[in-house]
Amino acid sequence: MIQTPDILATITVSHYLVLASMLFIIGMAGVLLKKNVLVILMSIELMLNAVNLVFIAFSKYNQSTSGHIIVFFVMTIAAAEAAVGLAIVVSIFKRFKEVNIRFFEHLKG
Amino acid sequence: MSIDVVLFWFLALITLASALGVLFFANPIFASLSLAMTMVSIAALFVTLNAYFIAGVQLIVYAGAVMVLFVMVLMLFDLKKEKRSFSKGTFTNLVKVCSVGVFAGILLASLAFFEKNNSTSILTGSYADNTKELAQLLYTKYVLLFEFLGVLLLVIAIGVVALAKSKGGTHDSNS
Repeated sequence: MIQTPDILATITVSHYLVLASMLFIIGMAGVLLKKNVLVILMSIELMLNAVNLVFIAFSKYNQSTSGHIIVFFVMTIAAAEAAVGLAIVVSIFKRFKEVNIRFFEHLKG
Repeated sequence: MSIDVVLFWFLALITLASALGVLFFANPIFASLSLAMTMVSIAALFVTLNAYFIAGVQLIVYAGAVMVLFVMVLMLFDLKKEKRSFSKGTFTNLVKVCSVGVFAGILLASLAFFEKNNSTSILTGSYADNTKELAQLLYTKYVLLFEFLGVLLLVIAIGVVALAKSKGGTHDSNS
């Protein structure tokens, strides 16, 4: 029987941290590169989720529940942020009939 | 390999694949479905870390409410003519990709420093429910923050209604 390598067989907190970092980097690339404002908002949600994953992983690592409280607050703020962002997108769409970031990167009405 | 380890790798694979779907799908509907998949698999990852209440909240708030909001707003727009999903400009896109790469390098290098004195498995330990402990902490130590969060949600609700009612644009309000 083949011995599985240690990095595959033992899940440490670093595995979760690397996974969350990759999610955060994908979200950051989405925010910078995408054209559609809605997809940019989705990428921001992806980044917030990556940070939540880090909080929960460290909370398990330190046997403490305070990280769960922080995640609870972050989720509430993220839901509020999504609502505000979508309201802004709706008003942008009413004005420009398109949701391309190119039209309002100068922040001029 | 135990079942926990296999489950972690499976969930990590699904999470990363669907996150890449958000980045690379040109159609925003597919991107939002991919994001919902990411949310669900992150909720499953929370379960592997014994955060049962947070996993439930993740499913209800993100995969439920926020995704419904996103898809509803997407359906308001006519996005059929979208062909390219990335913004224009080869040079600026190159600069953006380079900055993402630099950030990734910094992040992974700092993780490599953390890695050194850390080889114990995180998946061991008790599987006890810690929801009661969470609630006691939330309503004693963090009760002031909890109240502020209520005020913030009220302000957000009023602000979003005002923002959605506005005509859009700030410079000529009579058009």
